[in-house]
Amino acid sequence: MTDFLNYVQREWGTIFSYTLEHLQLVGIAIVIAILIGVPLGIYLTTNKYLAETILQVASIIITIPSIALFGIMIPVLSMIGQGIGFLPALIALVLYSQLPIIRNTYTAIQNVDPNIRDAAKGIGMTTFQRLTKVEIPNALPLIMAGVRTATVLNIGIGAIAAFIGSGGLGVLINSGISRGNSNMVLAGAVFVSLLALVADFILKFIQARITPKGIK
Amino acid sequence: MIEFNDVTKIYGGDVKAIDDISMTVEDGEFVILLGPSGCGKTTLLRMVNQLESISQGDIKIQGQNVREMDKIKMRRNTGYVIQSNGLFPNMTIEDNTMIVPDLLGWDRKKKKDRFNYLMDLVGLNPDDYRKRFPHELSGGQQQRVGVARAMAADPPVMLMDEPFGALDPIIREKVQDEFLAIQKEVKKTILFVSHDIDEAVRMGDKIALLRDGKVQQFDRPSELLIRPNNDFVSDFVGKDRVLRSMSLYSVEDLVTTFGLKNKEDTITDTKEISIDTSLRIAISMLLNQEADQLVIVDRQGQAKGSLTFDLIEKFLHQEVKGA
Ligand SMILES: Nc1ncnc2c1ncn2[C@@H]1O[C@H](COP(=O)(O)OP(=O)(O)O)[C@@H](O)[C@H]1O
Ligand SMILES: [Mg+2]
Repeated sequence: MTDFLNYVQREWGTIFSYTLEHLQLVGIAIVIAILIGVPLGIYLTTNKYLAETILQVASIIITIPSIALFGIMIPVLSMIGQGIGFLPALIALVLYSQLPIIRNTYTAIQNVDPNIRDAAKGIGMTTFQRLTKVEIPNALPLIMAGVRTATVLNIGIGAIAAFIGSGGLGVLINSGISRGNSNMVLAGAVFVSLLALVADFILKFIQARITPKGIK
Repeated sequence: MIEFNDVTKIYGGDVKAIDDISMTVEDGEFVILLGPSGCGKTTLLRMVNQLESISQGDIKIQGQNVREMDKIKMRRNTGYVIQSNGLFPNMTIEDNTMIVPDLLGWDRKKKKDRFNYLMDLVGLNPDDYRKRFPHELSGGQQQRVGVARAMAADPPVMLMDEPFGALDPIIREKVQDEFLAIQKEVKKTILFVSHDIDEAVRMGDKIALLRDGKVQQFDRPSELLIRPNNDFVSDFVGKDRVLRSMSLYSVEDLVTTFGLKNKEDTITDTKEISIDTSLRIAISMLLNQEADQLVIVDRQGQAKGSLTFDLIEKFLHQEVKGA
């Protein structure tokens, strides 16, 4: 134990920069995933047939082992000279995030009380006004829950992405394994977990801040 | 004025929810759409603000075909209240109430004044409720806010779908009375869905009784009670319909009909009855009394004569059943 703490103290600078790298990858992936998943989830509430298909595809994607997904992407992205590194890792994380984000958004919007929706319509709101003034605000807690799930998931998968050279805390784990340095492996694992905990905590705080007071 | 001309609604190709209805609701009239569950009341109401399409025929508001109106504009100019009140949980009471003025782009000052006015109208203190959220209010308070919201932009027409249906009976009567008082002041043209004959008789200027998408009778409440068109109507209004009709008349109506004059000699040992009392209550008072008469007193406390079963029966024959 003291051994491990000594290692962390000694390598603090390296660990910190890997953590930042990790955070950057996951952060960008989540922002892109939200920009795709939330509008898609909302749109799907207007098209039940497409919704089933897309949700099924997203469920299949999430079951693909991440190593396999990287393996598939290498030849494809090699065509544009990006077979390994940041880009394939980013794409993988965005794909894995889609299920929790789309499904939660879709369910949340669909679960808005039909009476409230009816009132909004009967009062003379346009489709867009209903969405922004009523449906999204009331769906926000569930949408945010999806984002939080996706974030934690991505922090974990982001560690595996180090295999294809995306950097981040996974590098510590990989090198630790190949060098037989258990402290290094442990440091990688502990900081991945810490990062997940802290990220979830921060998102929970953001969720509390942006959730309308009336529905808490 | 709302006109229904041969209006029919067919759901999914074969369910005829509304079957060739024609009727006219005059300006300032309070019309109840009454009938058993599934008879088409909600459907008829929702065709007016185009929440349901019209399969055949047309509906006109102030002479204008609703199908040709801009839906969004028309809905903002038509009050809409539903049973579950439909308040937006994410908005404060003020934002909920002022949502239509907000959509219409009123300025802050005008909205605030209007909110204060409406809250006073529905009997809630504006400052106590302004910043609160719907879930912090009781059912009765929420329903009052729902009514205020529908009246926010002062629409000439109000559509109300069992607005007080979810309230418990005592609160419901109170809210009904309040709403009647409001209506006296604002004189809206109202279509009001109900399945409760008592509510319909209490509130409506006229009642349209529906069955299987057809209007069975469209009349003043007293007509419906006293001269039902058919067996369905008389069954629906109930065997005690004559007694029920008595709630539509006050002791004053009887005094006027018989031209009762002031009376000087006071009868001792008899209970008094105010001229404002409904005849239905008068009858139960007589039933409760040891004596077989009550002394009628006007608003100044002046005795006007005595009220007996005989007199009420005479009134019933002359005013209600006769003609
Ligand atoms: N969206 C719909 N699709 C198919 N049938 C409907 C729909 N809405 C109502 N109906 C049918 O139309 C009839 C009238 O319904 P409704 O207007 O809700 O009655 P009420 O309000 O008097 O209870 C019922 O038979 C109901 O099942
Ligand atoms: Mg109904």
